[in-house]
Amino acid sequence: MNVQFKKGVLELCVLVLLDKQDRYGYELVQMISDQIAISEGSVYPLLRRLTKEGYFTTYLKESTEGPSRKYYALTKEGREYLQNLLAEWEKFTKGVNRIIKEGVGDE
Amino acid sequence: MNKDEFLSQLNDSLKRLPSAEREDILQDFIEHFEIGLSEGKSEDEIIKALGSPQHIAKEMVAAYHVEQVGQTASAGNMFRAVWAVIGLGFFNLVIVLGPFIALAGIVLAGWIVGLSFITSPILYIINIVIYPEIFVLFDLFVSIFLSGIGIFITIGMVHFTQWLVKGFVKYLNFNIRMVKGGMNNA
Repeated sequence: MNVQFKKGVLELCVLVLLDKQDRYGYELVQMISDQIAISEGSVYPLLRRLTKEGYFTTYLKESTEGPSRKYYALTKEGREYLQNLLAEWEKFTKGVNRIIKEGVGDE
Repeated sequence: MNKDEFLSQLNDSLKRLPSAEREDILQDFIEHFEIGLSEGKSEDEIIKALGSPQHIAKEMVAAYHVEQVGQTASAGNMFRAVWAVIGLGFFNLVIVLGPFIALAGIVLAGWIVGLSFITSPILYIINIVIYPEIFVLFDLFVSIFLSGIGIFITIGMVHFTQWLVKGFVKYLNFNIRMVKGGMNNA
């Protein structure tokens, strides 16, 4: 898939995954890379940037197995941002799908 | 490459960041390795999936510098941010450096015009001192008039520069978001 396109979508994926519950970095990375082929390391710069932009807060939580983990939680701004991105995404995919349908139908 | 080599390469590539920032980033990857290993993955598998540490570092450094400009818009911070974002890929040499040089040129020109207008009465006085025989009152009025215009231009430039810096930081952020870097598996 197109690299630039995927990178933009990565941000949306992270935000969506955090909408229902807080998650730790490794968990987020695995959930995304299970579905989309990505360089897993590129999720961490994204997480840092979105945290600095105020869309996430982070906290450390002990885990039953091994060391404590850094959890990411959506802020109010993060939720608003997610809603905006989602609306854009839906509009975008709807348009593309319509074009594909018409294009394929013509053949 | 094993885990320690990965972390030390990442650390080396992050050298320009303050140590607190760097340790924070490294901690995230140490955590990533620990959880991965506890799930039975090998160091090699984890590293392959992560991608190159240099690439990860480049993105981290670029994001850091852009954030710094957002906080204090000094010329030094601006240059570091532009430089770091350009480092993300050859493509950026064109789409970041081009607009940057153009805008920097406009800003510089505006400031020079504004400041030289303001100082024009001084130039006029210097002229009188050197050539007292060509004293013309009209020139004095013109230079005072220019000085007034210069003050307006300079005030305008202050706002324009602030506005431009804000806009450019937004553009750099957008660029970091969209332009490749670390997406080796694509």
